[in-house]
Amino acid sequence: MQKEVVDSMAMKRALTRITYEIIEQNKGIRNVVLVGIKTRGVYIAQRIAERLAQLEAATIPVGELDITAFRDDQPEMADQAPTDYQLTFDVAGKKVILVDDVLFTGRTIRAALDALMGGGRPQSISLAVLVDRGHRELPIRADFIGKNIPTARQERIKVSVTEVDGHDGIEIIN
Amino acid sequence: MADRYLILEDGSAYLGEGFGSPAVSTGEIVFNTSMTGYQEIITNQIYHNQIIAFTQPTIGSYGINHDSYESILPTVKGVVVRDVASISTNRQRRWSLDQYLKQQNIPGISHIDTRHLAKQLRASGPMKASIVDVADAHAFDQLGATVLTNQQVAAVATPKPFPNPGTGLNVVVVDFGLKHGILRELSKRACNVTVLPYTATTEEIINLDPDGVILSTGPGKPQDLPDSVLTMIQNIQSRVPLFAIGLGHELFAMANGAKIMKLSPEHHGANHPIREVITNQIIYASQGQGFAVDPETVDRNKLITTFVDLIDGTIQGLRYRDFPAFSVQFFPDGAPGPTKVRDVFDEFVESMQQARGPVW
Repeated sequence: MQKEVVDSMAMKRALTRITYEIIEQNKGIRNVVLVGIKTRGVYIAQRIAERLAQLEAATIPVGELDITAFRDDQPEMADQAPTDYQLTFDVAGKKVILVDDVLFTGRTIRAALDALMGGGRPQSISLAVLVDRGHRELPIRADFIGKNIPTARQERIKVSVTEVDGHDGIEIIN
Repeated sequence: MADRYLILEDGSAYLGEGFGSPAVSTGEIVFNTSMTGYQEIITNQIYHNQIIAFTQPTIGSYGINHDSYESILPTVKGVVVRDVASISTNRQRRWSLDQYLKQQNIPGISHIDTRHLAKQLRASGPMKASIVDVADAHAFDQLGATVLTNQQVAAVATPKPFPNPGTGLNVVVVDFGLKHGILRELSKRACNVTVLPYTATTEEIINLDPDGVILSTGPGKPQDLPDSVLTMIQNIQSRVPLFAIGLGHELFAMANGAKIMKLSPEHHGANHPIREVITNQIIYASQGQGFAVDPETVDRNKLITTFVDLIDGTIQGLRYRDFPAFSVQFFPDGAPGPTKVRDVFDEFVESMQQARGPVW
């Protein structure tokens, strides 16, 4: 069974609100860089960057991170994935905002933190997610949340973005 | 129907036919370009003590129905139209416009060349006008001698707090002469609302433990309100999510150092494209404003411009940089439409939810 819990309008609003909150909490966008976690986190990061550019007339660097090699739960996939530093810019001294679609156990984010190391010492790292669905297994929390969606553990949350899936929306599948 | 005259402060007179109440009345005349929504416009308290001239040629064709009031009692001083529809076939209709204006003791005048009138008012700006039986020197003397009040908010805002109970988030609405659309949109989102008079102090608001505060729409010039209102806004905006609309938006801007300027021509209609800056999307919204925030005086280190009118570049929305406090100049409740901008209320609700944190 599949149920849309967030439609494209609400998703657009959530991204808009996250963008304003990023400005609020960082007192502007000086030194801010966005790093999207593949696949959908990248597109979400790009949309936030577009919004920041509209408001502040400045370009924000957007990095892409493939965290497959850093996962602790899928060792068989780690062999063919990149393990070197992947970003095209240095994060030393920057305020890094990690962006992902869903925050669940927190293991993806831990892996992303590992993948970020090697790019210097950021001034800070914060986390923006479109959905926080609970069930954390690590002491990780998001700083910017599009939508809190309480879920059962066995349910799945599917975030769709136009760039990959042809439409925007968030669905619960069980 | 009897011949009547619409006379203006500058000496011009228009011969027309009376409808509604036979009373003689005086107010500031403004023109409205909305194609539909005359009932919402007539009952909107932002037009307190004003005479509204509609440029849409036929007004009254769908009567008056009980879903479209924006206040309990309208306080406009007159309705000027090209042609008033005497019949209506709308299933929701309760009364005709003529009957309604008679009940409310508001004079109307039809057969006016509203296109000419609108051009004249566009050039001159709003001015005093009367609907009278005889356009003689005496009538013009009376009109010239009439002094219109600048205490419109005090006349239309609630003098006492009242509740609009709901089961959801706790919202305080500070009333400057609110339109019902604001309460309607909050009800749809299950908000538990308390409406306070515009004289409410910071303590009175905070003691209600609100999840968010709304500064309502209202009539008149924002500078005519006491400075205590600005102090209240400065205290509230950093403590709870704040959403300001119309007159509330102008006050929010003033509380953060911006100046308000007279707008000419004024915006009364729903035909202006408005750009939402953050997404670069174009929206339409119903507007009613005689004043605007002077863009030169907006402190960019404090406020972000969020909406811009593409016809004359006026600011249609602002947001504080450091906390969730934002405002729109237009009417986001879609009463009358366009309705797509009701989204802004969802944005407010989501800001309140975010400020509260997750419920698990």
